[in-house]
Amino acid sequence: MSHARPVVDAMKPSKPGETRTAPPRPPDGFPSQGNYRAYVAFGFGGFFLFTVSLLVLRAVWALGNGEAAWNRVQASFQNPIYVIFHALAFLWLSWFILRLFRLFPATQPKRIGPFQRPPDALLVAGLSGAFAVVTLIVAAILWGCA
Amino acid sequence: MAETQKKTIVVTRFDPDRDEAPRQQSYEIPVEPDWKVLDALNYIKDHVDPTLSHRWSCRMAVCGSCGMNVDGSPKLTCKDALSEYGDTVEVTPLANFPVVRDLVVDIEGFMDRFQKVKPFILRAKELSVEAGPTRQSPAELDDFRQFSMCINCMLCYAACPVITNEPDFLGPAAIALGHRYNLDTRDEGQAERNKVFREDGGIFACSYAGECSEVCPKHVDPSGAIQQAKLANVIDWLTGLVLRRGEAR
Amino acid sequence: MVDVVRHDVVIVGGGCAGLRAAIAAVEADPKVSVALVSKVYPMRSHTVSAEGGAAAVPPGAVDDSLEKHAYDTVKGSDFLGDQDVIQYFVQEAPKELTRLEHWGCPWSRNADGSVATRPFGGMQTPRTWYATDKVGFHMLHSLFQHSLRFDRIVRYDEYFVSKLLVEAGQCRGVAALDVRTGQVRAVLGRSVILTTGGAGKVWPFTTNGNIKTGDGMSLAYREGVALKDMEFVQYHPTGLPGTGILITEASRGEGGYLINSEGERFLISRDYGVGTKAELGPRDMISRAIIQEIEAGRGITLPGKIGQYAHLDLRHLGKAKLESRLPFVLELSRTYAGVDPVTQPIPIRPVLHYMMGGVDTNIDGATNIGGLYAAGETACVSLNGANRLGSNSLTECLVFGARAGAHAVRYAKGASAGSEPALLEQTKAEGARLDGIRGRKRGGETLASIRDALNAAMEAGTGVYREQASMQKAVADVAALKRRYEQVSLSDGSKVFNTELTAMLELGNLLDVAETVAVAAVNRKESRGAHACRDFPKRNDGEYLHHSVVSWSESGPRFGTKPVTLGTWVPEERKY
Repeated sequence: MSHARPVVDAMKPSKPGETRTAPPRPPDGFPSQGNYRAYVAFGFGGFFLFTVSLLVLRAVWALGNGEAAWNRVQASFQNPIYVIFHALAFLWLSWFILRLFRLFPATQPKRIGPFQRPPDALLVAGLSGAFAVVTLIVAAILWGCA
Repeated sequence: MAETQKKTIVVTRFDPDRDEAPRQQSYEIPVEPDWKVLDALNYIKDHVDPTLSHRWSCRMAVCGSCGMNVDGSPKLTCKDALSEYGDTVEVTPLANFPVVRDLVVDIEGFMDRFQKVKPFILRAKELSVEAGPTRQSPAELDDFRQFSMCINCMLCYAACPVITNEPDFLGPAAIALGHRYNLDTRDEGQAERNKVFREDGGIFACSYAGECSEVCPKHVDPSGAIQQAKLANVIDWLTGLVLRRGEAR
Repeated sequence: MVDVVRHDVVIVGGGCAGLRAAIAAVEADPKVSVALVSKVYPMRSHTVSAEGGAAAVPPGAVDDSLEKHAYDTVKGSDFLGDQDVIQYFVQEAPKELTRLEHWGCPWSRNADGSVATRPFGGMQTPRTWYATDKVGFHMLHSLFQHSLRFDRIVRYDEYFVSKLLVEAGQCRGVAALDVRTGQVRAVLGRSVILTTGGAGKVWPFTTNGNIKTGDGMSLAYREGVALKDMEFVQYHPTGLPGTGILITEASRGEGGYLINSEGERFLISRDYGVGTKAELGPRDMISRAIIQEIEAGRGITLPGKIGQYAHLDLRHLGKAKLESRLPFVLELSRTYAGVDPVTQPIPIRPVLHYMMGGVDTNIDGATNIGGLYAAGETACVSLNGANRLGSNSLTECLVFGARAGAHAVRYAKGASAGSEPALLEQTKAEGARLDGIRGRKRGGETLASIRDALNAAMEAGTGVYREQASMQKAVADVAALKRRYEQVSLSDGSKVFNTELTAMLELGNLLDVAETVAVAAVNRKESRGAHACRDFPKRNDGEYLHHSVVSWSESGPRFGTKPVTLGTWVPEERKY
């Protein structure tokens, strides 16, 4: 079991207790084991979002700076690095979206007025299915089929 | 006659008057097939080492006293079957809490958060006894019942990564309890509670790890409660803007 | 220098009765300050494990009345309950449960939104309000959470009260061990209420949790307050094998059957005095019936378990009803008995559950020491007489917790604070006494062995059925154990969170309680309610229509009697 360096302030009482306490231990297995892995991966998305934002900014700047600049940016995208990066981003985003769908039902109230929340499995299947269909349609359009 | 099985229980010991830091102590004891982890701890205290301190009371998973980390996971030791573990079982105090002595942690941090969410019925005008009980349909009761099942065992706090890293976070059980009152048709205090929820360290500090719901022995689903509270809070805040302050809901 | 805190009312014990008393006290007077002193955080109080429900005539009920509830309670008590107390109880009961509803208690509901009720043992009509099958949990949490509204209720959590501070015949506070630091502190007040529950841990097989050690009863006993009706201890018919975990009476209220090894519903096929009520007869009769079935050879044996059992069959109720009305029963049976009630009968046997007896109080909760009150299971007011009906005790905690709280405030307003130096001297002496116990080395006795021996002695002498010989032996055994207790050697010399010290103090309290139970039992030469004496199998109103009282003295427990307050109902044969 991991005995990571403990965090001193977790669950600190508002008034100090009258005896000396040993510092709190963090949850065992955090951050690299068990379910915490998914949690960390979820948060890691920040990297993709940040990087993609920078790339978009670069492209938008080029657009505003004339055709030559734009052509230079376009040419740079031919580097295989961009394809690999965007493929990874797409995979991560898909995992992120599907996980979000899986977690979605519990975030909804049990009923709204007279309408009960549909069964969780139905909600997840519906959302995931819609995601798959939309992704395929968009891919088809971008590929020039539609 | 079957040979009695033995297991080694490795327990955290800490006496602030004698120990610089927590240490581990191993006890090899005979165990019964239907024992829970708590039975092993009680056996150690009664027959091997009476200096071991741990909290317990009901032994039927309803008082919430006996939460500890067993082989790394937060468990209710009175509910957790010993037979599911190997020959060596590690019992440590509940993670994320300061340790007072051996397996006993300081829960005052939890009591602070508990009070902060105003976990009681708030009404503009108190009801009189003569008016009799209020009416509440089974569906309305069902809306919040699950969130009222929390036994305050704090396993969720021991599992929450935000609690580890963000000292102010209200935490799963407190938020679930506040949300329980927000959903109760008899309560009129949503605006007040939602203000507390919006503060730093409130519900928006939750990043939906979902570990709290995984470890909850009573299936309260506090992470569901927190996410529902987030949505409700945003709606409440928007309505509050439109209606200008003063409306409870 | 002794640490001291000062309040107006000091309440010992933070369960249903203690919390209700605290709320009543601060509501009675906007300036009163209340200390709520509990050896555990209040949400751990044993109220939390009550399952079935709380009784009160529902407001607007057509086929029920206060008179019916009162009669059921009087008859259930085998005519030993004080009828003025019972009349007050049934009248206040609906108001208390209504208040709790206003405070957020999630009572289960009928389709029209009104509070639902279920049938319960010994009640002629369904009047037990319930919250699925976790009523104690919901009531305790609702009360505790409601109590957080009041700043003037100051909590002292994990403070173990080891001595009442009595000075000039008045109780003016308590000396309490702060378990975390090991310091003994004086919590001073002008009145004290004991709401520490019962003492199920005297017996080996009990529904009660580890904390039920009769602390309040012992505190009062040692200051000269009598303990009343101690021989009447309730065996709940349905406890799980080994653990003794409670399977609520509501499982019978919802239609469960009790079956012997031959598959018979023995409460119907044989005459056990419960008539057509069958499984919904009063607890004392049902427990005796199960024991008699076992003694007649129709008990069920379980591999690896000592003793024999009967079966509680819930299969015919169906999965849907079980999941909606008895979900906790399903969870408990599966986790602790390895049995799924949907498809299998649950093995059960009578298990020690509740003490009808306790600190002798009047209807206000007052004892014979000025300023000292008691309420709830700790007290014997007497609502329950010789046998309690299921679902009356939670309501009792509310009704008499409230009354004691209000009266304690009234008393405190008129009382003086007494001599603080004298009280602090007592506290200092108590601190020294506890220092002398902590980690002490005496003779060769161990805490666990004395506790086990006490359990065995009381099981043998004060079980469901008793004999004069075995009761006399229990009296002698407890006296011997009290001497052996003085020879216990301890190991933990630590000051911080020393649970061996608190266990030792609790064992001392258990011995005091056991002493009074055994002495009261041997002196009741009749059978009444839960006290079933084989040598005297009949009820004897001529000579024994009285309360037993046991008082502490230097030379040993002294036995006496006290009259019962009769009323509308005259004792009659108790048949159902």
